[in-house]
Amino acid sequence: MALNRRQFLIGGLGAAAATMGLSACGGGSDGGGSGGSGDSASLQFAWWGNEVRNKNTAAAIDAYTKAHPNIKVAQQPGEFSTYWDKLATQTAGNKAPDIIQMDMAYISEYGKRKALLDLEKYGADVSKFVEGSVDSGRIDGKLVGVNAGINTPVILMNPAVFAKAKVAEPDDKTWTWDQMKQVGAEIAAKGGSGTVGMQSPFVDAMLSAFLRQNGKELFNDSGLGFDVPDVVPWFQMVADFAAAKAIPSASQITEEQAKSLDQQALATGKAGMAMFWSNQVEAVNKASGTEMKVLRFPSVSGNATERKAWYKASMLWSASSRTKNPEAVVQMINWWVNSPECANINLAERGVPPNTEMLAAIKPKLSPAQAAVAKFIEDIKPELAATPIAPPPGGGKIGDIMNRHQGDLLFGRTNPADAAAKFVDEAKSNLK
Amino acid sequence: MSVVSELSHIRAPKAKSAEERRARRKAAGRDNKAAYLFLLPWLIGLFVITIGPMLASLYLSFTDYSLIESPTWTGLANYTRMLDDARLHQALQVTFTYVLVSVPLQLAVALGVAMLLNQGMRGLPLYRSVFYLPSMLGASVAIALLWAQMFGTDGLVNQVLRLFGVDAHTGWISTPQYALSTLILLHIWTFGSPMVIFLAGLRQIPQMYYEAAAVDGASRWHRFRKITLPLLSPIIFFNLVLQIIGAFQSFTQAHVVSNGTGGPSDSTLFYTLYLYQRGFGEFEMGYAAAMAWLLVVIVGAATAINFFASRYWVFYDD
Repeated sequence: MALNRRQFLIGGLGAAAATMGLSACGGGSDGGGSGGSGDSASLQFAWWGNEVRNKNTAAAIDAYTKAHPNIKVAQQPGEFSTYWDKLATQTAGNKAPDIIQMDMAYISEYGKRKALLDLEKYGADVSKFVEGSVDSGRIDGKLVGVNAGINTPVILMNPAVFAKAKVAEPDDKTWTWDQMKQVGAEIAAKGGSGTVGMQSPFVDAMLSAFLRQNGKELFNDSGLGFDVPDVVPWFQMVADFAAAKAIPSASQITEEQAKSLDQQALATGKAGMAMFWSNQVEAVNKASGTEMKVLRFPSVSGNATERKAWYKASMLWSASSRTKNPEAVVQMINWWVNSPECANINLAERGVPPNTEMLAAIKPKLSPAQAAVAKFIEDIKPELAATPIAPPPGGGKIGDIMNRHQGDLLFGRTNPADAAAKFVDEAKSNLK
Repeated sequence: MSVVSELSHIRAPKAKSAEERRARRKAAGRDNKAAYLFLLPWLIGLFVITIGPMLASLYLSFTDYSLIESPTWTGLANYTRMLDDARLHQALQVTFTYVLVSVPLQLAVALGVAMLLNQGMRGLPLYRSVFYLPSMLGASVAIALLWAQMFGTDGLVNQVLRLFGVDAHTGWISTPQYALSTLILLHIWTFGSPMVIFLAGLRQIPQMYYEAAAVDGASRWHRFRKITLPLLSPIIFFNLVLQIIGAFQSFTQAHVVSNGTGGPSDSTLFYTLYLYQRGFGEFEMGYAAAMAWLLVVIVGAATAINFFASRYWVFYDD
């Protein structure tokens, strides 16, 4: 009797283990599809975004799967701040999404470590792209990211706040950093209680602009493109802006950084100006219900043609090097950047399309704000200098490092010289 | 040895022959096998989910591992690097401050509330649940977000202060001097689970001790000091050990409240948060694994010290 019971037990356990094993296999094979054949596939598609982009992207994916019924696309939308943690974990676990919305800050992190697919090998088509918009996606000679939209850093200005404070709009073709500080201080002083001059513009893109105007770069081929003496004036400028009350208090800046775009001071009408990327103008306008004015970022010399502007890939389309369906992936990316159908859904939300034919196709449909941005991108051509290189591995976090030392400075815990020294030291040691 | 086999030993008279002994050993062996079979699910879990990954992380701590590429052996490099990592030292300072301040305060509040509830009041189950509720929620993202709102520059706390005429414009979570204290407050607020354990412990103390002491004219304080504390000391010890281990591993609150930065000015850079930043944000999983092992050593040492010190103050009434 006892023997029978034990046999029964062993059998039961064996069955349970077998079931577990089977279900584990089932869990592991998702995203596989019938790889290789190329005619049917299920793809994971990951992006970060805002409300507008999430809606557009889902609509475009639906349009694609309707036209290609044999392709299934699982959507993985996300927030920028958590997107990268998730992607790193997925990549480590061999579960990276097939199609990955990539950022310049991380492309060499993944590309140099061979985590991204060589897209040209599977027929990526960038033949219609405007000059200079393709190479930012090339790492070690391989095209691992297709430019998803052209972008440039801008200062956005809320005309209503300026009118209320009775402050004249600045002339962005001649203004210097010092003048930006004065305008900000004036807005804060005259705008009424609760109004701040500008959201802190001291982010890595503006440091890059400042360094370029002084003949340096954030990164060059051998690593960090600047040294301590180059950034002491930068930290001094941050301190000066704070002393003039052109930017909010350190503690307000900290709270501001945790907020989403629609809750930030510019969108809620509390700030006169803020630094944004040109493709975000539409989202800021939607969130605030105000038409923001697009301004050039200032220059050291007071001459906009010397401000060393650049076009950046707002984001890129990459693919996991371990995808089981490289052909299907590249086919979808090609459709995304080269078909009028997709361009008409996404318009200029990810930036101005680098494919000139797509730009021409969507131009009549652009909102006034997007049309203004497209014109702005066109207008600043004479002000462009060489495109900055992609941050090397370990360089993607340079903005966070700088932000931390700026925080110490603004909270009065250090001085510009020490902050500069510590920032450079840490940025250097983080590069791999 | 299983309970069944022990029982069979008691039942059976002394073995008479070698043959009988062999048969009995066989029976015992069969019982052991059954025990291991019943333990199997747990053993599989232990080896696959706990010990396996731990050994893997021990190996990774001696490597340079970027998550994306395979690890390369670097010996002790990760451990020697810790010596000059200023942010690691900051993280240790923040975490030790948090543990040393919040755990004693939380236990004091828990004991205080437990003693109040032990007065035999009406509606005890309701109060017990109400006080226990925060510890169910305290580590959750929702509460951390709520905390961030309440203690913001224009949050509830400042608005209440303004009602009383205080011109309050301090961002309690965005100013380096106060940010950690705000998180400590959040931790103290989650005193529910040690409180419930204290409450159970208080119920175990025989009422006659108090009665005898009252007859002898002992004051309330003396009764607390000479009866409650000694008899409750094993429970206090238990809570202390568990809470210290838990506090060293705090992560969610700081991650949510500081938006993952550990800011402002690294003032809420908990050890686990920094470990997470290194591992997942900066692709240094080897270094993160080494940090995890340092934390194991620290928590182990803290627990060992606790057990050693317990000899001098924990009183077992048996």
